[in-house]
Amino acid sequence: MLMATLALSGTLPARADEAFITSQPAEMLSIVDLASRKVVATLPIPGKPAGIAVSPDGARAFVTSPDGKALTIVDAASRTITHRVEVGGGPLGVAVHPSGSPAYVADWYQHRIVAVDAASGAVTGEVKVGNSPSGLAVTPDGALLLSADRVSDAVSVIDTLTLTRLASIPVGARPFGVTIDAAGRRAYSANVASNDVSVIDIAARKVIATVKVGQRPYAVALAGGRAFVTDQYDSTVSVFDVATLATLATLPVGDYPEGIAASEDGAFVYVANWEANTLSVIDTATLKVVDDIAVADGPRAFGAFIRRTGR
Amino acid sequence: MKLQLFAAALAATSMIAAVGAASAHGPTRQKVSEKIEINATPEKVWAVVSNFQDGGWIPVVAKTEGTGGNAPGAKRTLTLKNGATVDEEVAKLDPEKMTLMYRIDKVDVKVLPVTNYSSWLIVTPTGDGTKSEVEWRGAFYRGFPNNDPPPELNDDAAIAAVTGLYKAGLDGLKKQIEGGN
Repeated sequence: MLMATLALSGTLPARADEAFITSQPAEMLSIVDLASRKVVATLPIPGKPAGIAVSPDGARAFVTSPDGKALTIVDAASRTITHRVEVGGGPLGVAVHPSGSPAYVADWYQHRIVAVDAASGAVTGEVKVGNSPSGLAVTPDGALLLSADRVSDAVSVIDTLTLTRLASIPVGARPFGVTIDAAGRRAYSANVASNDVSVIDIAARKVIATVKVGQRPYAVALAGGRAFVTDQYDSTVSVFDVATLATLATLPVGDYPEGIAASEDGAFVYVANWEANTLSVIDTATLKVVDDIAVADGPRAFGAFIRRTGR
Repeated sequence: MKLQLFAAALAATSMIAAVGAASAHGPTRQKVSEKIEINATPEKVWAVVSNFQDGGWIPVVAKTEGTGGNAPGAKRTLTLKNGATVDEEVAKLDPEKMTLMYRIDKVDVKVLPVTNYSSWLIVTPTGDGTKSEVEWRGAFYRGFPNNDPPPELNDDAAIAAVTGLYKAGLDGLKKQIEGGN
């Protein structure tokens, strides 16, 4: 394996990162090469796929299908489905442990998080959370799982080792996406009904600031000390400084911007526009949209959809 | 045709009590798009389509009352021929792209079995610019917010109702404009 990798790296240019974009009505996973900004592969996924998480080593992608009540595990390099796991309820948000396993799946209807072993596809446990859990995120050290419990207006903190719920932190109204910073100190929830982002001190288990953004915020990406927030109803991305919390820009993108994620180096932020069927590319230095990549109908890409391939 | 849809939806009243607040919905938003070609210039068609204060080209609409013209934030209440009302609001207006986007603020799911509904009307020139294509697009969730919906409030019912509305509406628009009314 190592030899093969070395041999490849000697003959091929370094591969760029990829975006794994779920398209809900098209029931398709579009894989976008982020260097050429082209769709290089598509993979049909039944059951209206919405949530996505790619393991930090780039080996696997996990896709939720709320209508199919299933989690699909994809071998990311070969673009093949290895498991389709019946998790029941309404699987929506998904996140993967930094070690690559398990994957955590939020069940919108049954108000719980299900843990699924990445290699075997076996359900290994579950934990009850607040109502209609949506977005999920794991701290970089793997110790804590955060769940945006949309109908409870709160974010749950879960111990990943024991799968026990340690706390429920009240946030703004109808939190949907939740994102944790690289240091594991702060989390940001996008609150759909209060049109703001709650900044959470994870250790203190409390909200330390609230930042107004556009209408119906969906999710948050972090890059270069800035937060980028998709505003579904305004068709914009709101940008604010995470230190000063000052609003820096409001960038027009396609209609119904939803999933959002930053490149590993923070140079670009990518936005899935559900109505426009595009992936917008934002240059984080100039704060301008520099490209729009056509993808399959209804891109949602709710989760950490960037696949690292450069190592 | 649309009246039939509304009438069919009326049969679903027994389920209405189970439906929660309008902000609650399941995880899957639906999309519908219908198009029609109209034998009139884009300017002429856009003048009708962008007049938010007159929904009379939609056959089921009996009366339009509202404020704010067609600027973002403008409101209107459509009174349908069966007496039901729909409250709507302009979200975006782009005269250059001849695109009007608006949302439904309030509608009973027994009238239209959807929640969190928004739609786009887009006029584009066809041929040498003497004809037009009108596209009516919609984004919405089904009427029933929880899992395993009853048939009259499921995704298929929502898509069928909106598709029927768009087909009848676009037919009405074409007839009104080509008929020279």
